[in-house]
Amino acid sequence: MADKGVDGGRGRRAGVVNKQRGNSSQRFYLVLALVAVVGALFIVRAARAPRAIANVTTAPITAAKAEGYLLGNPNAPVQIMEFADFECPACGNFAVITEPDVRNRIVNTGLASYRFFDFPLPMHKNTMAASNAAACAADQGKFWEMHDELFRNQPEWNGESDNKDNPKKVFLGYAKSLGLNTDAWEKCFDSQAHQSRILANQAEGVRRNVQSTPTFVIGTRQIPGALSYDAFKAYVDSAAKEAPPVATKTDSAAPKTAAKSTTKGATK
Amino acid sequence: MSRRQTLALLAVVGVCIALYLTLYKIGVIGVLSCSIGSCETVNTSKWSMLLGIPIAAWGLGAYIALLVLAMVGSGEAHEASVPISRVIVALAGWSVLFSAWLTYQELFVIRAICIWCVSSAVLWLVIFILSVADLRAVSRAE
Repeated sequence: MADKGVDGGRGRRAGVVNKQRGNSSQRFYLVLALVAVVGALFIVRAARAPRAIANVTTAPITAAKAEGYLLGNPNAPVQIMEFADFECPACGNFAVITEPDVRNRIVNTGLASYRFFDFPLPMHKNTMAASNAAACAADQGKFWEMHDELFRNQPEWNGESDNKDNPKKVFLGYAKSLGLNTDAWEKCFDSQAHQSRILANQAEGVRRNVQSTPTFVIGTRQIPGALSYDAFKAYVDSAAKEAPPVATKTDSAAPKTAAKSTTKGATK
Repeated sequence: MSRRQTLALLAVVGVCIALYLTLYKIGVIGVLSCSIGSCETVNTSKWSMLLGIPIAAWGLGAYIALLVLAMVGSGEAHEASVPISRVIVALAGWSVLFSAWLTYQELFVIRAICIWCVSSAVLWLVIFILSVADLRAVSRAE
């Protein structure tokens, strides 16, 4: 009788433990399912979000030579190339924080020339439009001014901004503030007159196996990722040591003059 | 909730992060949601691939393996299994080291930070700490 009582007690306790375990498992599976569903919804929403919209052009695109946009003396001892996307945040940081020093202390001193190559990434909705805006500003000799405006104000026009569906309105504002002939700029922008030039710059990056933006080519070295000024200068100094000497008595004045005259203008 | 069940829960969170980054890498997702850092810079860099497979896909595999182990280990039949705990500790330890190396690449080589990748690295660290606690508890009970 006593044994029966003990057994009965154990049975009840085991029952309670099993019930508790069952409840705990149920709670666990519920939380697990909840987390999985929230994660799945987030991913499905991201996958369904609008992708980068291709620019539509009716004009046939003829192949162009990749030239980039030049800053400084083209005959400087070191040649620098930058492959960048106007909508890429890392490129924007570099352009705003480091590039002014690079221009003042490396390009303007005639140590190196600097060429910007468009490398629009497909995931950025408005980058092609921004490249187009800068190319049209280059027609009026103000590529670098537009370049600076675009990078400085990325949040005003990028694919996540309030103006994401009409970046042209913002770009037109920059064109006005830079004193461009807005009619000519607008005509150029609407007709995508420089699409082939932009694509040629991009193709040059693909040919060089550029895999991220910004990517720099300094002399013979290709360096992915934004660089600090000190690292940048170290690469330039290293490239300068490898470069053949260019300054002779007869042409030593030429780079200075050229650097001064081309510093703010872009070659076509 | 037991430690193994918590591990399973964390593994599901990890699966979601790794799946998101993998789908971006293979082009199914167009734009990464990245409020802090430069996720695209990191995920389009050459360090985002290993042996021709996206790093995120390797992470996805590791999280799925952890999920399976933690789910099996949460069952009544294996809840005191020391070998399962050891395998989880080994997997989590390796993942912590690998994540640390990736974070180093982000900070000092790519010079850009991807908030999703950092989240995954922190997640592996938490998983590792929890898995060591689980191994100690299971070994003591044996």
